Amino acid sequence: MAETQAPPPSSRLTYDYVTRTIARTLGNPTRGYFLLLGAAVALLAIGIITLLFLIRYGLGLAGYSHPVYWAVFITCFVFWVGIAHSGTLISAILFLFRSGWRTAVYRTAEAMTVFAVMTAGLFPLIHIGRQWYFYWLIPYPNERGLWPNFKSPLIWDEFAIGTYFTVSTVFLIMGLIPDIAAVRDLATGWRKKLYAITSLGWTGANEQWRHYTRGYLYLAALATPLVLSVHSVVSWDFAMAIVPGWHATLFAPYFVAGAIYSGCGMVITLLTPIRKLFQLEEVITVHHFENLAKLCLLTGSIVSFSYVTENFVAWFSGNPAERAAFWYRAFGPYWWASWTMNICNGLLPWLLWSKKVRTNITALFVISIFVNIGMWFERYVIIVVSLAGEPYTTWTNAVYNPTWADWGIMAGSFGWFFMWFLLFVKNFPAVAISEVKEVLAPPRRQKARAGVQHT
Amino acid sequence: MSDSLPVDRRRFLKVLGVAGAGAAAASACGIGPEPTERLIPYLIQPEDQIPGTATYYATTCRECAAGCGVRVRVREGRAVKLEGNPDSPINRGRLCARGQAALQGLYNPDRVAHPMVRNARGVFEDIDWDGAIQRVAAKVREAQGKGIVFLSGTEQSSFGDLVDEWMKQVGGRRMSYEPFAFEALRAGNRMAFGTASVPAYDFGNAKYILSFGADFLDTWLSPVEFQNGFSRAHAFDAGRPASMSKFVYVGPRLSLTGMNADEWIAARPGTEGLLALALAQVIVARHLARLPADASRLSSLLAGYAPRAVAATIGIDEDVIVRLAREFAISGGGLAVAGGMATQGPNGAEIAAAVNILNYAAGAVGTLVKFGADLAIGSTHTFGDLTALMADMAAGKVALLFVHGTNPAYSVPGAFQQALGKVGYKVSFSSYMDETTAACDLILPDHHSLEQWGDSRPRAGVTALQQPVVQPVFDTRPTGDVILKLSGKTGTFEDYLQGKWRAKHATNFDQYWMDSLAKGGIYTEAPTRAVRLAPSLSRISFAAPAASGGQDQDVIVFPHPILHDGRGANKPWLQELPDPVSKIAWHSWVEVHPDTAAKWGLATGDFILLKSSFGAQKFPAWITRSVRPDVLAVPTGQGHTAYGRYAKDRSANAFELLGAQANDYGGRNFGVRASATKTGEHRKIVTTEGGPRELGLGTTEVLPLARAKALHPGDHPFHFEETPEYAKEAVEWWGERQHEKASIGNYRGEHPRWGLAIDLSKCTGCGACVTACYAENNIATVGEELMQRGRELSWMRLERYWRTDEHGNPQGAVNEPMLCQQCGNAPCEPVCPVYAAYHTPDGLNGQVYNRCVGTRYCSNNCPYKVRYFNWYNYAERGGQYEAFPEPLSMLLNPDVTVREKGVMEKCTFCVQRIRGAQNQARLENRNVRDGDIVTACAQTCPSEAIVFGDLNDRNSRVSELAGNPRGYHVLAGLNTKPAITYLARVVAQETPSHG
Repeated sequence: MAETQAPPPSSRLTYDYVTRTIARTLGNPTRGYFLLLGAAVALLAIGIITLLFLIRYGLGLAGYSHPVYWAVFITCFVFWVGIAHSGTLISAILFLFRSGWRTAVYRTAEAMTVFAVMTAGLFPLIHIGRQWYFYWLIPYPNERGLWPNFKSPLIWDEFAIGTYFTVSTVFLIMGLIPDIAAVRDLATGWRKKLYAITSLGWTGANEQWRHYTRGYLYLAALATPLVLSVHSVVSWDFAMAIVPGWHATLFAPYFVAGAIYSGCGMVITLLTPIRKLFQLEEVITVHHFENLAKLCLLTGSIVSFSYVTENFVAWFSGNPAERAAFWYRAFGPYWWASWTMNICNGLLPWLLWSKKVRTNITALFVISIFVNIGMWFERYVIIVVSLAGEPYTTWTNAVYNPTWADWGIMAGSFGWFFMWFLLFVKNFPAVAISEVKEVLAPPRRQKARAGVQHT
Repeated sequence: MSDSLPVDRRRFLKVLGVAGAGAAAASACGIGPEPTERLIPYLIQPEDQIPGTATYYATTCRECAAGCGVRVRVREGRAVKLEGNPDSPINRGRLCARGQAALQGLYNPDRVAHPMVRNARGVFEDIDWDGAIQRVAAKVREAQGKGIVFLSGTEQSSFGDLVDEWMKQVGGRRMSYEPFAFEALRAGNRMAFGTASVPAYDFGNAKYILSFGADFLDTWLSPVEFQNGFSRAHAFDAGRPASMSKFVYVGPRLSLTGMNADEWIAARPGTEGLLALALAQVIVARHLARLPADASRLSSLLAGYAPRAVAATIGIDEDVIVRLAREFAISGGGLAVAGGMATQGPNGAEIAAAVNILNYAAGAVGTLVKFGADLAIGSTHTFGDLTALMADMAAGKVALLFVHGTNPAYSVPGAFQQALGKVGYKVSFSSYMDETTAACDLILPDHHSLEQWGDSRPRAGVTALQQPVVQPVFDTRPTGDVILKLSGKTGTFEDYLQGKWRAKHATNFDQYWMDSLAKGGIYTEAPTRAVRLAPSLSRISFAAPAASGGQDQDVIVFPHPILHDGRGANKPWLQELPDPVSKIAWHSWVEVHPDTAAKWGLATGDFILLKSSFGAQKFPAWITRSVRPDVLAVPTGQGHTAYGRYAKDRSANAFELLGAQANDYGGRNFGVRASATKTGEHRKIVTTEGGPRELGLGTTEVLPLARAKALHPGDHPFHFEETPEYAKEAVEWWGERQHEKASIGNYRGEHPRWGLAIDLSKCTGCGACVTACYAENNIATVGEELMQRGRELSWMRLERYWRTDEHGNPQGAVNEPMLCQQCGNAPCEPVCPVYAAYHTPDGLNGQVYNRCVGTRYCSNNCPYKVRYFNWYNYAERGGQYEAFPEPLSMLLNPDVTVREKGVMEKCTFCVQRIRGAQNQARLENRNVRDGDIVTACAQTCPSEAIVFGDLNDRNSRVSELAGNPRGYHVLAGLNTKPAITYLARVVAQETPSHG
């Protein structure tokens, strides 16, 4: 399907080689893998214990102080929703744009999306005061005869996240079918049975491919608007409120750009070690990284522009509350958070103008870490700082400090995410076998050995 | 059939049992619905109790010596709320925070529950009442002739008479002790007029008020009465159209009283008397007032105190003195009062005398200062008498000491404790394990004043009755009964009391008694007694104390406006009520001027060790411009070593800094010299004051008197802020749509729109409304740790904004009570995902606690930040943050839900009172009348600043006030359409004010 140039030709890069290289990632786990998985599960355990404490004793264990009623939990929520964005962008939008380079990275991005949404979706449940009544937020005909308030952006959020989770999961599973079939043919033992079931009887017949590609295309078309809508809706949690620093029409595009920026950052953060650990250097090349870096540069620039616009509008509107809010943000007690955000998201992407940086994987990895930090702080600044220094009632202004409970839940969310991700890369092909093959030169008949798959 | 079932009966029950245990465990963890409780009906219903209906009993508040009348709301045998008794001429239906908190004294979890005796090992053990009384009787017989003393608080009452009779019988004597007994004022009155009694002061009719350190709004004599009068005199428009009295405060720091002044004169401490004399000199020399007959004596007396001569000593400009004198005299109703911090130095009596001379010169004596209606506090023994007693005790001349209603071991730490050690046998009648009681040998706990009969004579002409309103909570006994038994008389104290009253009014006594009980007492006007200047006046030297050098600092120990002399410290409502000035709760502090702080490198929260020649204590610094740079000020009230869980080991006791010697006039020096050293320790102070200290963004409006006078009905000086020009069209369109919406469905028809009007000209920031709100609405106290983290649940909070002069120095403050504005277009409502926040047809922003899941979005979107979250389960039995430990839970209002953890709570204009009044009106087949519904805050407000009513009723008081030209809405520019109208503060001062 892809019509752009193929990756740099390599003599070894044949259909068979690709299949075997990628299938190798599913081999017996090493000690290093178990260490990583163990660390993730340990973090998750911390999170679960913290959550039990929160449910038993109350949210007071977290650092909340009047008027900062949303803090680290909602910051993490938006952070993870943001992370979830680049997956669909890479798999759906770039698919529609026929960007060939996406093939090597999209599976990772997509898996990341699903797991990030799964992580994000937990936070609204954790952060509410009476977690055991979370189902009151869900609209379904019930014996209480009550519906949720459809005016509340939180309900919109529920729909947005729910839809996104459903579509991105279907998208991931659908993309996996031919690849599972490919590894099925190589697998033995219980895994063979697993893959036999999950490949849904894929044989690679022409008819199947025809339906598959059509279906994939339609799903891509369906998922594309979601990339824009989900984070727009998340941003309205804030933009619909009257808090200065939240209440801005800019928020939807600003949040979407930020989400993709953070998502691309996270993809780089995840791909670098995977590529190294599974020796996928030939499949996931520097070229792919450079393209991701370019995406970062683009979205990072939009984010920087949004920062400038926000501050400009605060000044230009002449609204004293807006001015006070942005002054507080930059020079108040949270100046360090704001400037972390400004530097990581506003200045750091500028390094990516240099091709040297873009093609240096170590540099990109380091930058991607800072992108993640910067984007976490962006949400922290928007949520916590706007509430703490709310200029309408300065009398109640307060400085908020997170506690062990905040960090425990946050650590748990990272554990939860990485646990799923690690389980995924060990059990399913982390690089799309079939699509990588699409961008390779088709094999000649005489060279074709007993390939698992013929396209 | 049964064979085919997969589960048999045994297994089914097993599963059921496990599931039940699981559910029980879940509910024990505090998640899931509360367990069901059973209601048990009365077997025999008491005749005046209807379940679900409150009964009110009139009685008297005994939290201080002022003797305010209260009505106690009793539900099903539990006292749930105190309200002022409108019949009482003292408080006129109003009550202060301390009065409100009397309930927490009654149901205090740390009360001494039964008599206790110190055993051979020195620890207290239980004893039965008969044994205890026998033991006392034996001790009395033993001690006869070797010195028996009964030490009480201010007791101008039948109880006091009974004690006197008993002491006469056994050859002992009764002494009374109050830590703040106004000795300077009494000595000053004796110097000036030859009478040591404390007169009544008429603030309500004063046209100009000049206070020389007298904190008449917080701790001086009778605060509720004075605040009520002050508000009538000082509020703009109150009774006299477009006018108000000016109030000038002279003192080294701004107290609650001081911050309500229009002008602050920070005279050098100890020179206040000179200022008073200089003012009198100007008045007499320039004939500014109609002078009394003996004015010639005055002019010779005052000759040496011309403003030019004393201005430099006082530290203010000469023309300021002249201006003040002119204003004071020309007002035609100037009232000068002295006391508090200004009169607690060695020359306090002279200062009080000088202020008396000023009043005399200006003609206030006899009109606004009424001798004759003397206050009870004037007959209390002085500190000098206590030191004499302590000397006797130390010398072993006291064999048996009874202590009742006073706690000298706390207010005279060290010295009294030591003297107590030399007393043969000590008996305490206290119902609390305070410092004095902890050092006694036998405790015979008294009933709380709400549990027993009694009366008191707070001032001449007023006899307030006290009746039991609830069954005793513990195995305590009225001390009156105990004394009757000890003195071999029959009957109870109730009989004794009735006997006393019968002696005064024998005819038709039963009717008279019932009427008096219903009214709360007998109220008459005592005739005013004329006084003349004392002949010895000219011999008094009014010289100011020499400015002392050295490294030491002047430290002022002032009475805490809420905890007072420490007696309030065991009541969590009072601990959690922020000090009106510093906004600090749960601990004490030292006030330091920023210049001093800069010199010493201090930040707010840094500890300073104050070391006087009598003792040393550490206090965290609160840096403020409301204190003179050369003065440090420390409140009393904290630092208890006993007195229950809420008071014990909390912060530092300022009394430790003071000496135990009486000064010349028998008073105590509350100003000491002390060295101040930074200890290097730091704490986060517990304050409710958040962001920048300036006046907010149009949230608090102040008008100079001249501008306020120029306002006409229909003017809207603050409307320009409501909608900016560019947004007008959009906002009006939106308003119309809202109006359309408000006319459909549930919202159609003639519904009231409940509203509040708060007059900032009247509000003093005393905090009575806050505590009343806690009491009415079952608001949990969260304690020091959580309050430090900003988690107090105070639905009503008082924001204190300084009014500053051009140098940034405060001239006073504006206090703004901030509570839910019940917006017509509320930002909190649409964001709630579960409709827990919703709009009632009568315009309230309802909050359904049972529906709330706790997303907290409503609070984020509330620009007033008046929604509060339950971070923990404060009602959990035995929980770490339990707010209502048994029996404190007995004062919970059964009409209001006790909120569980994880839900948002907020003010709903006492919706339970609204519905109650509506139901009552429906029963009587009529409409609700204006005034039927009074919210708890409006009910208690001593300055009558809060008015509640229906804004849709054109004739209601609240809608009249809402149309006042001074009215404005806070943050009106947000188009929230609040139901609360604030009336701008009017300030009568010449110096420009910012705000």
